[in-house]
Amino acid sequence: MQQQMILLVFLILAGITTVVFTYVYASSKKAGQEKQGMSNPLRKRFWFLLILFVVLGIFASVTIPKSPYFLFADETPKKIVHVSAMQFAFILSEKAIDPKSPSGEPIELPANELVEFRVTSLDVNHGFAIYDQSNTLITQTQAMPGYVNRLRHKFKEPGKYNILCLEFCGMAHHGMRSSFIVK
Amino acid sequence: MESIKIKKITAVWIITVLVLFIVSIVLGILMRLNQGEIIEQSPITFYSNMTTHGLTMIGIWFVAGMAAVNYLMQRYVKTSYTANVIAYVLTVIGVLIFWTTTFVGKFHAGWTFLYPLPFKVMWATWATPLFLVSLTVFGLGWLIWSISLMTQLLKKYSIAQVFAWQHFRKNPKVETPPFILITMITLIGIITCLFAAVILIALFFAEYFSNGNFLNDALLMKNLTYFFGHTIANEMLYLGLAVIYELFSEVSGRPKWRTTWYVALAWNLTLIFILTAFFHHLYMDFAQPEGFQIIGQLASYLASLPAAGVTVFSVFIAVYRTEIKWSLTNLLFFIGVAGWVIGGLGAVIDATITNNVLLHNTLWVPAHFHTYNAMGNVLFSLAFFYWFTNQFTKNIEDGKFTKLTLAILLIGGIGFLLAFYIGGADSIPRRYSNYPTDFTAAAPLATMGAIFATIYLTAILIFFFKIYKGCLKILFSPS
Repeated sequence: MQQQMILLVFLILAGITTVVFTYVYASSKKAGQEKQGMSNPLRKRFWFLLILFVVLGIFASVTIPKSPYFLFADETPKKIVHVSAMQFAFILSEKAIDPKSPSGEPIELPANELVEFRVTSLDVNHGFAIYDQSNTLITQTQAMPGYVNRLRHKFKEPGKYNILCLEFCGMAHHGMRSSFIVK
Repeated sequence: MESIKIKKITAVWIITVLVLFIVSIVLGILMRLNQGEIIEQSPITFYSNMTTHGLTMIGIWFVAGMAAVNYLMQRYVKTSYTANVIAYVLTVIGVLIFWTTTFVGKFHAGWTFLYPLPFKVMWATWATPLFLVSLTVFGLGWLIWSISLMTQLLKKYSIAQVFAWQHFRKNPKVETPPFILITMITLIGIITCLFAAVILIALFFAEYFSNGNFLNDALLMKNLTYFFGHTIANEMLYLGLAVIYELFSEVSGRPKWRTTWYVALAWNLTLIFILTAFFHHLYMDFAQPEGFQIIGQLASYLASLPAAGVTVFSVFIAVYRTEIKWSLTNLLFFIGVAGWVIGGLGAVIDATITNNVLLHNTLWVPAHFHTYNAMGNVLFSLAFFYWFTNQFTKNIEDGKFTKLTLAILLIGGIGFLLAFYIGGADSIPRRYSNYPTDFTAAAPLATMGAIFATIYLTAILIFFFKIYKGCLKILFSPS
């Protein structure tokens, strides 16, 4: 699960930071009157910055092309689902939704095929987050009034997927949810 | 006489900030206890408290940084006592109005008050306009204060000097102290984002008074909201850093830090990065132009370079294998920098678009911003408060007691934050008053968060009792 990997990487980096700060602090406590200090600090600073710059550069060039805006951009979706979010419900339909009398139907989607969700809101900002059967967040977009966000995804596993609102939208925000089936 | 007045108003700021901080922590603990199903609050009470907690915390740590910077700036330029007092009075009035909207009116659109949520009234109808009034009052006071400080800097230093551009050449004739450079860079960011807030509030009022004839654009409003919200939250950290540049070497008994070409370059670049990093709040708005999304990730990454390469490295150079005079002040600074770095790591991870898809608006978000606030910025300000009161009162430091307090602070802080990080990695949403039953770990983690936050609060109370007595002495002494 990607989130657990992210947590692990974070904990390792946080651990390294703690060790480095503790080491630097301990070196000061042990230091004598002769004031040894750090040798060649400018060179060390340069290398530290260069390494950080290169690492971040590699990270950016690897991750940016995988951003959701570019995923499956050249493919034609097999199925389109219209989503209208409103306080405090999601309306899903394979047909365009009339904002004056919004109505939807239960949704079934094919596994391993490209699906496009066209997500908007009829009132305030909402989140449109898809959770798999193990209750792990797998993808999301925002539902914003006046705009349509197109979220493309291929569901690998058949089963029931839950939709949760992840943008605070008022007093029943935590109860705003829906679901669909992937077959 | 002027310095006595500044001393007294600084003491008043400190007491006010600490009292509001304690109340806000209690609100936070109540929220986590409710999520942990230990107590039962109505969702409306929960979300009103959430709104109070968020905006109060942002406000107090911003003014704490400003008060510290204002006090220390007296070393270089004369500052306006009147502007300082106006800011204080307007901040207190703003808090009173704002708390009325949330505690009495039950306003609960969150501290980010994302358009058009404040207009979908689920609270007293007067609460929305009054909330906007409270923001106007804060904005007015803080703008007057920031512009006044900037004007004083520009009276002494030329534009090139205040940005330390002369340090790009060899052997500059005039030296710009790092404190002046960082303060100027930060004040520009603050004034820019406060102007964005003015436009935002004006647009809210325009729609409010238009009787439905004028509707705002939700995407523009969201960009303005985060340009203001993200930037002010970051600038308050930079105010803390300005204080570190000024005081760390001084309290450590080491030579004063000086501006070099790379310090000047780093802080000038920071100004650009910090004003464009806010785009990362809109990654999940796919309607936003893709160029802005990429700028968001690149600026968020680049913002870490001057911070890590210059500020953090300078702290290391000052401390590494160097005998320095450790006290509670520089220990708090040192631990605060570590907390700031660790929070920054969490932030850079979240600012990567491919990660943000999985972390956006989960508990990962409060995890990282509480790290660099509760374990970073708060410690910077506490260090200043402690140093300040020690200047005028003989507050004899008890080594063992200090270590114990710090240990309590660290244990409480780390446990409280871990509950957030684990929750974020477990896909648990943020800003839920009650968790759906399918998130089995959510309630136990919330309870764990509440317990550790109470331990953190204990340490803060100890600091409060150490600091407030000194502040009262300063306040009531004739000189």
